[in-house]
Amino acid sequence: MKNKVLSLTKVFLRSSFQNIETANNQNKQSQKSKAMIILYVFIFAYLAGIVGFFSFQIINGLLQIHQEQTFLGVILLGIGVFVLIQTIFSAISLLYYSTDNEYILPLPLKPSQILMAKTNVLMLTEYFIVLIIGFIPLLIYGNMTDANPIYYISMTMILIIFPIIPVLVSSLLVLIVMSFSKFTKNKNRFQLIATILILVVVFAISFTTSGTESSPEKMIELLTKANGLVEIIEGKIPTLKMAIDALASSEVMTILLNLGGILAITGILYAIYILLGQKLYLKGAVGNLYSGKKTNKKINDKKAFRKSSLAKTYIGKEFKILIRNPIFFMQCILPAILFPIMVIVFGIIGMKEEGIQSITQISEMIPNKTSIILGAGILVVIQFFSMFIYISATAISRDGENAVFMKYIPVSINKQLEYKVMPNIIITIIMDIITIAIAEYIFKMPILYVILITLVAILIGIIQSYLMLIVDLKKPKLEWSSEYAVVKQNMNLIWPVILGIANIIVIIGLTALINGKVSTYIGMFIFVIIYLILLMIVKKYIKNNATKLFEKIF
Amino acid sequence: MINIENVTKSYVKGKKSIDGLNLEINNGEIFGFLGPNGAGKTTTIKMITGILNPDEGDILIDGKSIQKEPIEAKKNFGFVPDSPDMFLKLKGIEYLNFLADIYEIPNEVRKERIENLTKKFEIYENLNAEIQSYSHGMRQKIVICGVLLNNPKNWILDEPMTGLDPKSSYDLKEMMREHSKKGNTVFFSTHVLEVAEKLCDRVGIINKGKLVFVGTFEEMKNKFKENTSLEELFLEITENEK
Repeated sequence: MKNKVLSLTKVFLRSSFQNIETANNQNKQSQKSKAMIILYVFIFAYLAGIVGFFSFQIINGLLQIHQEQTFLGVILLGIGVFVLIQTIFSAISLLYYSTDNEYILPLPLKPSQILMAKTNVLMLTEYFIVLIIGFIPLLIYGNMTDANPIYYISMTMILIIFPIIPVLVSSLLVLIVMSFSKFTKNKNRFQLIATILILVVVFAISFTTSGTESSPEKMIELLTKANGLVEIIEGKIPTLKMAIDALASSEVMTILLNLGGILAITGILYAIYILLGQKLYLKGAVGNLYSGKKTNKKINDKKAFRKSSLAKTYIGKEFKILIRNPIFFMQCILPAILFPIMVIVFGIIGMKEEGIQSITQISEMIPNKTSIILGAGILVVIQFFSMFIYISATAISRDGENAVFMKYIPVSINKQLEYKVMPNIIITIIMDIITIAIAEYIFKMPILYVILITLVAILIGIIQSYLMLIVDLKKPKLEWSSEYAVVKQNMNLIWPVILGIANIIVIIGLTALINGKVSTYIGMFIFVIIYLILLMIVKKYIKNNATKLFEKIF
Repeated sequence: MINIENVTKSYVKGKKSIDGLNLEINNGEIFGFLGPNGAGKTTTIKMITGILNPDEGDILIDGKSIQKEPIEAKKNFGFVPDSPDMFLKLKGIEYLNFLADIYEIPNEVRKERIENLTKKFEIYENLNAEIQSYSHGMRQKIVICGVLLNNPKNWILDEPMTGLDPKSSYDLKEMMREHSKKGNTVFFSTHVLEVAEKLCDRVGIINKGKLVFVGTFEEMKNKFKENTSLEELFLEITENEK
């Protein structure tokens, strides 16, 4: 049983990560692989550096008010919330819409074995992000608080065990909701509603666990007590207090007891998960949802045979594939539209709990409605959301081995790339407009100012869309057996984060440079000019290199 | 007409996958391209269709170089790849319209062609369903319909009979015959020797990247042992080269 689960896990992982495997006899290939490894190490160092820098600043601040243990709570809670949300998308994709189900289901395997192996993959995939948002900050924390060597051991163990519960909670929620799919006729509509429903529930859970209900008096009391603030956080997740206690203690017995407690709770939850899961999983939607929409509806003569422009038909085809493929839809489009709405809506609800009674009060926090800092802030928030848009970064990879289609039709590669980048641009613009509209509702900014921010945001979005396309063109993931591999286990998808952070730094840097020296409108105009120049450079690069980059796709 | 002129291709330095290939497929001809697995059939087809660039030599489709005038050359052929699993999330009708827009097929003839082709291949009733719900054979048919929609002069097909039911296979063969009778070219690869024998005006046999035979089946039989089976002839030609 164990061996089968292990082999299955290995197969799922291997088929997903095949494009970063380095085994190759050819020297040139091996050199390329080495270069890729160096690049990934560099990327990791870059992200780790940014996370580390902020961690250092926060711990430093907390140390001065003797509240450093709050940091442990915040980091662990952050991991919990992040993994909880991420797993929703991954679990639906991997458990229900993965093409490898077609090959796995006929094999003599028990539902529990398939479920265990897939859950293993879900967990292992999340560890990469835990490494960056958990390992680095806690390592710095240990160093800054002169922790014992035993801290590092318990830290490692907690980082391995702690993220399992959110993975299980999200996956179980998915299993329960998806088991209702057999009662519905319209599977496509069901999967969309189900995904949004699960997301709303998870967002609600996340924000109620991370929100605070403390009164100002209570806050002062906690602040005056050494490491009192952590008490607000530690009750939010059952294992959180134990994890914080284990990390904060230097006594072996306390550490062991707490670690044992976390292990026991996780173990019980895992057993419940498998027990319920094996009943729900195969009886649910496996295969059923993936079989494609069958219909005997007659085609509408008037509409069906109408000629369209090539641009319209090509971009339409890209959107149809993105929207109708549940994995692509959930990973590429949905986060871009839902994240801004949910983060802002639940954020406002959270702020109200902290004593801010109305939106006017939030608006009053920023008196100057045309301050360049406000504009930059909105751009930074937009940039943060854009990190979750993977449309361009998977534009070629999504076609898989059919990417060669682009090479034998009588349409130039450059033209096709222009069409391929459009869905990313369109979705980014929608996300820009949603975010700016909410910002306008809160801050009531002058209309000209709003137009300028929108213009800059759109320009940044277009540049990023092209840059992501270059990333995918440079190293497309064309050999995959499941769409999950394209959007979840694809190293290229670090790039939206890297470029997003780089751009946030550029926005903050530029703002710092021009703030107070020129008027806001001139400042925004400078932004427009800089990003226009950047856009021209990026487009020129694609124009000159597209055909060459496409040569390796065959 | 397809002209392959002294084409060479290497994936790995020092090892030629295609070695100095010269081939002329004339108008009005059905040409079968045969060879064992890994002989270079698909590589050749990929070079003809512009998916791969040759290291040396050139390929002309109706006089247009696939390397120097790729768009014009690509307008002159229709290609059926070996795997029909394409654009599975599109409905059959959407896929055909997408191709019709790419090949700029006017409204006046579009409806008629789509109806004729899909009714002939008995998939008309399924046009409103996603291709993902089609069987392998139906997927093969929709891809073939998509290619024939443009009525290209040159047909290039990679293992086109795979997955087709007997009637569709028969229909496709008939269509290939009709197409060549009108003075057009059909170039296809196959493993099924009987199909090649019955259908092709000429065949080419490739082995280890080299063309080892070009001619009619009669010429093949005359050149080698006259009374042996087609299968034995094929094995003799390809094994002699080892």
